[in-house]
Amino acid sequence: MIRYTLITVLLLLAAFVAQQFIPAFTGLYHSRVLLVHLVFLCAAVTVGAPAMLLLAFIGGFLWDAHCAIGPHGGDPEVYSQPVESLRFGYSILLFAALGYLMQGVQPLFRQGKWQVSAALTGIAILIYLLAEYLLINFVRGEFHFRAAVAGQVVLTAGMTMLFSPLVFWLLFKLSELCQNPILPAAGNKRRRRR
Amino acid sequence: MKPLHLLALMLFLAGTVWALTRSEEAVREIQAAYYSAVSPFLKSGSAMETRARALLDEVEHSKALAAETDTLRAEVGRLRIIESRFRELERENAQLRHALDFPKTTNFEVVAARVVRRHPTTWWQTLEIDAGSDRGIGTQLSVLSNEGLVGKVHRIDSGGDRASVLLITDEQCLVSARVEGTPEVGIVSGRRGHFEGTPRLRLRFLSKDAAIRPGLRVFTTGRGGIFQPNILIGTIESVEKGPLDSEAVVRPSVNFEDLGTVFVVLANDS
Repeated sequence: MIRYTLITVLLLLAAFVAQQFIPAFTGLYHSRVLLVHLVFLCAAVTVGAPAMLLLAFIGGFLWDAHCAIGPHGGDPEVYSQPVESLRFGYSILLFAALGYLMQGVQPLFRQGKWQVSAALTGIAILIYLLAEYLLINFVRGEFHFRAAVAGQVVLTAGMTMLFSPLVFWLLFKLSELCQNPILPAAGNKRRRRR
Repeated sequence: MKPLHLLALMLFLAGTVWALTRSEEAVREIQAAYYSAVSPFLKSGSAMETRARALLDEVEHSKALAAETDTLRAEVGRLRIIESRFRELERENAQLRHALDFPKTTNFEVVAARVVRRHPTTWWQTLEIDAGSDRGIGTQLSVLSNEGLVGKVHRIDSGGDRASVLLITDEQCLVSARVEGTPEVGIVSGRRGHFEGTPRLRLRFLSKDAAIRPGLRVFTTGRGGIFQPNILIGTIESVEKGPLDSEAVVRPSVNFEDLGTVFVVLANDS
């Protein structure tokens, strides 16, 4: 179990590296495949709550380090209106909330119905992006929701979800290597059939 | 709830509170460590993106590109002549200033850099350039294109050969601006999440009865210590009068989707 948890942590770190090679599709409302989020969500359903929280902390912390914008700077007499921005670390909470959402379908996943979890990754990413956008609007103090934002959110969630079977397949292989079955109920069923 | 889960939750919450209470300086250090670790992959990733874009451009517009190259060659030749004349004038100007003991008011040295990555994050309006501290670039320096103001440098990678630029279309990039031919000054800022068409900027804190109209150009004032004066930001598209002040919607002069080369203004002593 510990070995598998460590491997999921390494997989999450590898996702950060791979994310650098994934560009935004400018023709599709700047949507992109959020590989880091996908790996976290897929791993979250395969591990226990403590390991999921560890992954949420690492994922959210590094994602904020990836995205944080530098200090405002300039003469405060001229730029007297402070620019409120999202605090470093907010993604950790969002990652954990979505991790718990994924853990909600863990019983189904353990029965071998990984397809439900795969579909839920898309919904979770949709919720994540909407929550992030709503937070930006809340901090700004004005609400604007354009069709392009909806397009970006839906396409990003959809495109990312398409890759979830691949990540689950990788996790199944890794769990086999670690001799840590992540689908015990499905394994029992197979054994009974034999 | 199992004791192990409870313990993990407590540790998680403690860690989250720790992260949320980091100071600006501590966040910069964390970010510098992160980018130093992923720097080799960033370079490969952006090189791939640049190559893919170049290939697509080549396939789509090879004839147009050839014609454009010819025009640009001619333009470079013309500008070289102008530059040599400009350098002569600059030398002459420096000599005269020295002779008259006249203080130097502006210094406008620029470094050209290529855009190697666009939109590296979901909502934040940034781009990455292939020049960093190795070419004298630091944070809070203004970035221009031949069309006008692009943004400012907000992060330098530890390798020293890359930097990240915060575009004026992001709401965190504020620019002190003036409207040409009027005494009106205000603050220009963008808004996140505008991806369709040309993004618009908002010029706020204008006087209630500001005598401005669509079509007037907006320039930097030079106040605030970041952006040099008289850099074109954009053109007023519409004006909204409020009970206390007025706002104007500004169309940026720069086409942010087509940025290939930008210029970082090194000296910031205007």
